[in-house]
Amino acid sequence: MARLLDMGLSAVLLAGLYATMAYGLGLIYGVLRVVNLAHGGVLMAGAYLGFCLHERFGIDPYLSLPIVAAAGFALGVVLYQGLVRRIPRGAAGGPASLLLLFGVWLVLRNLAYLVFTGNDRTIRTAYVASSVAIGGSHVSVNRLIVLGISAVIAVALHVLLRRTQIGRAIRAVAQNADSCTLAGIDVHRVYALSFGLGTALSGVAGVLLATIFSFNPSSGSSELLKSFVVVVLGGLGSISGVALAALLVATAEVFAILILPAYLTTAVGFLLLVLVLVVRPGGLFGHRVLS
Amino acid sequence: MTAIRPRAAWRRVDVGCGAACAILALLPPVLELSAYAHNLMTLTFLMIAGALAWNWMGGFVGQVSFGHAAMFGVGGFVAGRLMLSLHLPAPICWLGGAIVAGIFALGAHPMLRLRGPYFSIATIGIGEASRLVFTYWDRFTGGASGLSLPLDGDLKYQLYWWALAFAALVAASSVVIRRSSLGLKLLAIKADADAAADVGISATFYQDLIFVLSGAVVGLSGGLYASYFSYIEPGDMFGFDRSISFVLMAVIGGVGTSLGPILGAVVFVLVRTYLLASYPQLYLGLYGLLLIVIILFEPLGLTGLARRVLRRIRPAPGGAPP
Amino acid sequence: MTRLSTRGLTKRFGGLCAVDGVALELGEREILGVIGPNGAGKTTLFSLIAGSLRPTSGDIFLDGERVTGLPAHRCVRAGIVRTHQIVRPFGNLTVLENVVVAAMHARGGATGHARDRAAEVLAFVDLTGRDGQYPGTLTLAGRKRLELARALATGPRVILLDEVVAGTSPVEAQAFAALIRRIRDERGISVIMTEHVMPAVMTLSDRVIVLDRGKSIALGTPQEVVANPRVITAYLGTAADEAAAP
Repeated sequence: MARLLDMGLSAVLLAGLYATMAYGLGLIYGVLRVVNLAHGGVLMAGAYLGFCLHERFGIDPYLSLPIVAAAGFALGVVLYQGLVRRIPRGAAGGPASLLLLFGVWLVLRNLAYLVFTGNDRTIRTAYVASSVAIGGSHVSVNRLIVLGISAVIAVALHVLLRRTQIGRAIRAVAQNADSCTLAGIDVHRVYALSFGLGTALSGVAGVLLATIFSFNPSSGSSELLKSFVVVVLGGLGSISGVALAALLVATAEVFAILILPAYLTTAVGFLLLVLVLVVRPGGLFGHRVLS
Repeated sequence: MTAIRPRAAWRRVDVGCGAACAILALLPPVLELSAYAHNLMTLTFLMIAGALAWNWMGGFVGQVSFGHAAMFGVGGFVAGRLMLSLHLPAPICWLGGAIVAGIFALGAHPMLRLRGPYFSIATIGIGEASRLVFTYWDRFTGGASGLSLPLDGDLKYQLYWWALAFAALVAASSVVIRRSSLGLKLLAIKADADAAADVGISATFYQDLIFVLSGAVVGLSGGLYASYFSYIEPGDMFGFDRSISFVLMAVIGGVGTSLGPILGAVVFVLVRTYLLASYPQLYLGLYGLLLIVIILFEPLGLTGLARRVLRRIRPAPGGAPP
Repeated sequence: MTRLSTRGLTKRFGGLCAVDGVALELGEREILGVIGPNGAGKTTLFSLIAGSLRPTSGDIFLDGERVTGLPAHRCVRAGIVRTHQIVRPFGNLTVLENVVVAAMHARGGATGHARDRAAEVLAFVDLTGRDGQYPGTLTLAGRKRLELARALATGPRVILLDEVVAGTSPVEAQAFAALIRRIRDERGISVIMTEHVMPAVMTLSDRVIVLDRGKSIALGTPQEVVANPRVITAYLGTAADEAAAP
């Protein structure tokens, strides 16, 4: 029983991380209808940036988040303006955008490898070993902090999207970009902003990930898969939906250890993906829109 | 290129290709190729076949797969196991690998209903899950240490012609598919799967069919690859890098064309061999940059470039396809 | 002889009932018009009959055979084909190829004759001389003709025309109207059509069915339907509400 509680707690803590990862991917997909295949790469890059800031300048990873967010945002804007913007929208651009962003992922991976070599890294802070007792289980401090930060991010995102001018613009463009052009909204600026915001979130998620798990330049594919599952399950445009979906995925993963052999738990992300995609075959938006 | 063209135009191309194959077949004895060049060409033929098969999915149907390594690995390990445990002659083992790989691809049926990015991401999942499962299944694959196959110098030498015949067959099939009614239907599905259904074409059926064929051929190339290296391990065979290589070959050469994957495979093998020698750390990044450049400036890669040059020389009527 | 009939055809999307218990009958060599205010469920009805959507309940019969729930491609094989409101040509195929690929699936026809069928159909819709061009280079009317040709090439018994005339000039609209009549008369295909351009529907249709909020509220000849008080309320009621709103 205590074990189950432990696991439940683990799931909740993990869910925060997964939600933050998913917001990044989901925002870009929701607004631009582009699957950011470089998501895993940006995550990994964020992790390395946090690592670098910690190793070279001694900056606490959680305090470095604003820097990483800013860098991630800049990267996203550059990627959009330089690359994504040139791809046609809609079905015609589908494979093209996938391949383009995949190329970006490869470049990021190689850069990381050149600078940091292929060894596994993780961000080890002074307090990483300490834990806090919650209802009989021991919870590591950094996991708690990650959850806390994720909650803050979710709230901030909510406020941004619902209460600010720019958030309204983003939601409008997500719904109907053409009408927005007619209404005078600079759609490309919103796209650039959304892409930047998405990559900023991915980068931040990368730092958070790095404080809990180890990573190397090849990291990113299972994170991409998990983020995708969460986005598809949680629904675009619903911050709470994504949070719930993240909890579901985290729970499934944590409790999967009870049924599956250890090596397969990483494949749980994939198994979930299969389930989700099979049960909702048309993807999130189902069939073509009909009046 | 339109699918419906005068017969005479096709004939010239066919004769040219036939001649090229004959020349390649005669190359080793006539030119007295070094073992190094001989083997490199064998590897290139294998990669050509694999890239062409990937292109059936990625280029003809328009479904980009990032998980073809799964079939490559299945084909390779099944062939390897058949050789090690049952001592069957190599060609039978290769065929066995191809068949199992095809069945494996069929198992992915639920995923084949997916479109666009959903499909692509699902294939990443297939590839990664396969890698994990097969690495752990060490009784079959030898785990992280892999399988060592008995060295057979004669076979490795003859592999050149096996691989050449294989590549030629796959290339011919590509061309036949492209020009046939099947090819037309695939293009329709690629353009608009729902509209294709509205004129009677079952996207699911054809996607299944092509994925299985593609998987079987890639599996066959895995089997030949196993004989080539005499040592295979799951991390390499099922790895993401392996899946990436198929994508790169087809896209660099010209995704969707029949010639593209051939060019792409040749370039890929050459560049990889050279890069591995001089700058082993740069190769993924370079390919990433290449991908970006190609998508932005010449979506049909090398073939597109070649066509642009040809069009300067000889303008074609009727406008270019979009 | 009834070509196509539906019984209690219903489609629910979560809480919304887009099509509610619609029963209709389409005879041989008949043009049935489907009209109704916006959101009445016309396109959903088309999608149900053509197989793009699965009905929540109800049945569809083609020449007496039950075809309910058949996916789109099987419906086409059975003999029901549709055109789209916003045309969807295959942009990567030429005009001829667009039609050929549809002709390959014509009921009972050999694939070898696909090109002949395609040529014949293109001549029928008056879209000749553009075989090698790509749909992107055609005008809207041209693309609509192509869409029509593609549908006809499948050799249907029933064709569903979704706003074929909309967006075309009066001259082109006349030409399309004549074409639709020829489809019924010369090719013996039964037609279900929907249009926002009322005069077109009313003059072309042999009978008309009126939908309002998913339900069928009237069925009869154009003259009967126009005089029907329920129909008038459905249309005028909407207009009155809109006029009253701030």
